[in-house]
Amino acid sequence: MDLSRRRFLQAAVLTAAAAGATAACGGGSGSSGSKDSKDLALWYWSGGLSDKVVADAKTHFSDITLKTSVVGGDFKTKLLTGLRSAQAAPDITGVKGEDIASFLPNADRFIDLKTVGADKLVPDYLAWKLKQATTQDGKLIGFPIDIGPCATFYREDLFAQAGLPTDPAKVSAQLATWDDYFAAGVELHKAVPKTFLVNNIGAVFGMIIGQGTQRFIDEDNKFIGDQDHIRTAWTTAVKPYTLGIDAKINDNTWNAAISNGALGTEIGAAWHALDISNAAPGTKGKWRVASLPGGPSNLGGSFLAIPATSGNPEEAFKIISWILSPENQARGFTDAALFPTAPAAYKLPALTGGDAFFGGQKTIEIFGPAAEKIPSAYEAPADAAVSAPFYSELTSIEAKGKDPDEAWKDAVSQAKQIAERQGVK
Amino acid sequence: MSSTPVAGPAPTGPTSGSDTGPAGQPSPDRSRGPGRRAPRIRPVSAGSRPGPRRRVARHWPQYVAISPYYLIFSVFMLFPVLYTVYLAFQKWDGIGDMQFVGFQQFRFLWDDPIFWMSVRNTLVIWVLSTVPMLFLALVLAVLVNSTKRFTAFYRVALFIPSITSLVAIAIFFGAVFSNNFGLINAILKSLHVSAVPWMSNEWTIKLVIAALMTWQWTGYNAIIYLAGLQAIPSELYEAARMDGAGPVRIFFSITIPLLRPIILFTVVVSTVTGLQSFTEPQVLFGSEAATNPNSGGPGQAGLTTLLYFYHQAFDNNDFGYAAAIVWAFFLLILLIVLINWRLVQRKEPRP
Repeated sequence: MDLSRRRFLQAAVLTAAAAGATAACGGGSGSSGSKDSKDLALWYWSGGLSDKVVADAKTHFSDITLKTSVVGGDFKTKLLTGLRSAQAAPDITGVKGEDIASFLPNADRFIDLKTVGADKLVPDYLAWKLKQATTQDGKLIGFPIDIGPCATFYREDLFAQAGLPTDPAKVSAQLATWDDYFAAGVELHKAVPKTFLVNNIGAVFGMIIGQGTQRFIDEDNKFIGDQDHIRTAWTTAVKPYTLGIDAKINDNTWNAAISNGALGTEIGAAWHALDISNAAPGTKGKWRVASLPGGPSNLGGSFLAIPATSGNPEEAFKIISWILSPENQARGFTDAALFPTAPAAYKLPALTGGDAFFGGQKTIEIFGPAAEKIPSAYEAPADAAVSAPFYSELTSIEAKGKDPDEAWKDAVSQAKQIAERQGVK
Repeated sequence: MSSTPVAGPAPTGPTSGSDTGPAGQPSPDRSRGPGRRAPRIRPVSAGSRPGPRRRVARHWPQYVAISPYYLIFSVFMLFPVLYTVYLAFQKWDGIGDMQFVGFQQFRFLWDDPIFWMSVRNTLVIWVLSTVPMLFLALVLAVLVNSTKRFTAFYRVALFIPSITSLVAIAIFFGAVFSNNFGLINAILKSLHVSAVPWMSNEWTIKLVIAALMTWQWTGYNAIIYLAGLQAIPSELYEAARMDGAGPVRIFFSITIPLLRPIILFTVVVSTVTGLQSFTEPQVLFGSEAATNPNSGGPGQAGLTTLLYFYHQAFDNNDFGYAAAIVWAFFLLILLIVLINWRLVQRKEPRP
């Protein structure tokens, strides 16, 4: 008994020592010091880049050892921690679209990509997307991987049952404004009672905010979330709720709803097509894509950035621009549903083909023009934090039947408090 | 990063269990506990004062043997805890420069209705989970204690929920209680009862979270009670039965009073872990969403204080405010533990 316990302890100590040694070795990726390192570390998250393109990048840049890590969990938090030391920081990293604004105040933690060759490539990429990664004094800290041009996904079969137009061009024309869209939803719900128009009203609100040129904070770091553009978006978003065409789905039942026809339409970004086809493979061929009511909007879309501690920024940007070339972006679209940020890619066969899930529809005809017309809006670092109470209060309306006017007042007062905490005037 | 708060409740239970166990009351497995303690205490207090330094020198292998725990504890627990005190007086976004702001974060906290709502949510969920949990645990322990066969099986079965992955349980509960397509609502519908919107009503959300916690921790507490029950000498029961006491009278006059220290221990541990509910609402209500993550579900009814802390720190990057939240919350937990202590230990005779 005594002997076995000692053995056990010995084994445990040895294992711990071995693990510690391995961790210590893993930490020193040698990415500090001189700026011509041949070992570069790339961080991204699962689905953030096309794995095939990344694998090809390793062989294409044969003189560089590209070590890739697919980082799971909360990516931004791990990146924040990693950026604190040169040893731990990657040489190239993904930055999620919703996080890029919060990194802008600390732009000195990243290489200005215009100094390593991005200035020549800028005209080939979408200007409004580049602006999201550009500081107010003109530094570009991220190069866009993908975007999320938004559209209306709709069930052609249910639209037919309700006597609504079914052809994408006609749907786009007839459902041109939000009020037209809601009116169609009322007809749809009347004809097919189990079918609702929208998933939840927060989604509608987000879309309308994305269609505007102003968000919650302006360029002078002033809170504008209580002004007319937000109030109008709010009033419009509440309409489906009052009309009874809101499915009020705020939990994990979306998958079931989408596959059993409880949702007649979905408003979402191009990548949302993958969510729908994964959740409801049985509805293949029944969906179509039409333009978003009220004009183009964007949701999501990430960036590749080079931390200031990178071992070889010049070479790192060469890798980035290769991975994000129009041709490779087209492959990324096929492989990982990453919608290209270089309009040249929209003419490549990978995007111009028909999509069987949408009955062979050439969805690029909807997404392509939308992508180029998305309005450019200033997104402040604290924008996401300040906008949160609006979304929370919209779900309060759905969950508790809270009075929309009261909810609006609460949302504004909470947003002002968050703005004050975040240092917004 | 979510691992820190996630791991929070789970280890607290078992660790403090083994720490406090022997000190609380002799339990059967540790019946030599107090005996072992006594001789060690005596040389310390009554010895001819050799001075602490010589004691350290004489016992250095023992100190070295226990040092890994304290080293790891100070690096990963003590330092972060002390650092949050410093952070609570700063404004910091995680990578930029810190800015000293005095008591401003606490002033914000005082005026923040969402913080107070999160405290209310946490307290309601705690009461809804702890009271039935400890009651059920006691009943289960008494039942298992009275069985003669399969006792090992029952003990293992009781313990399994507390070592099951919390995330897995939360996903499972989310599916069972789902509004439109959940098992419970399917059963209700088949019985021609109207479905309950479990995951959108502000009270049922709390109920679901409390049910989850009750399910997970009842067995763990039952095992502790079981240990306590077996330490009660059977002579007391025999004597009570000779005096004509029924099972209910025996339960309230013998079992409960003699279990009081054990009950105190479970109440304190359940208070500390129950108030730290975090993973349950985080997993139940879309923490992965790009817009408005970790909001605590519809009406923010599942927004517990720790989830709110996490949201401020890791979604909003407002680390100073997050630190203020946890410190305010720590004081609250301390207060509640003290109240519990007074309530349960009230009639404890001094040994």
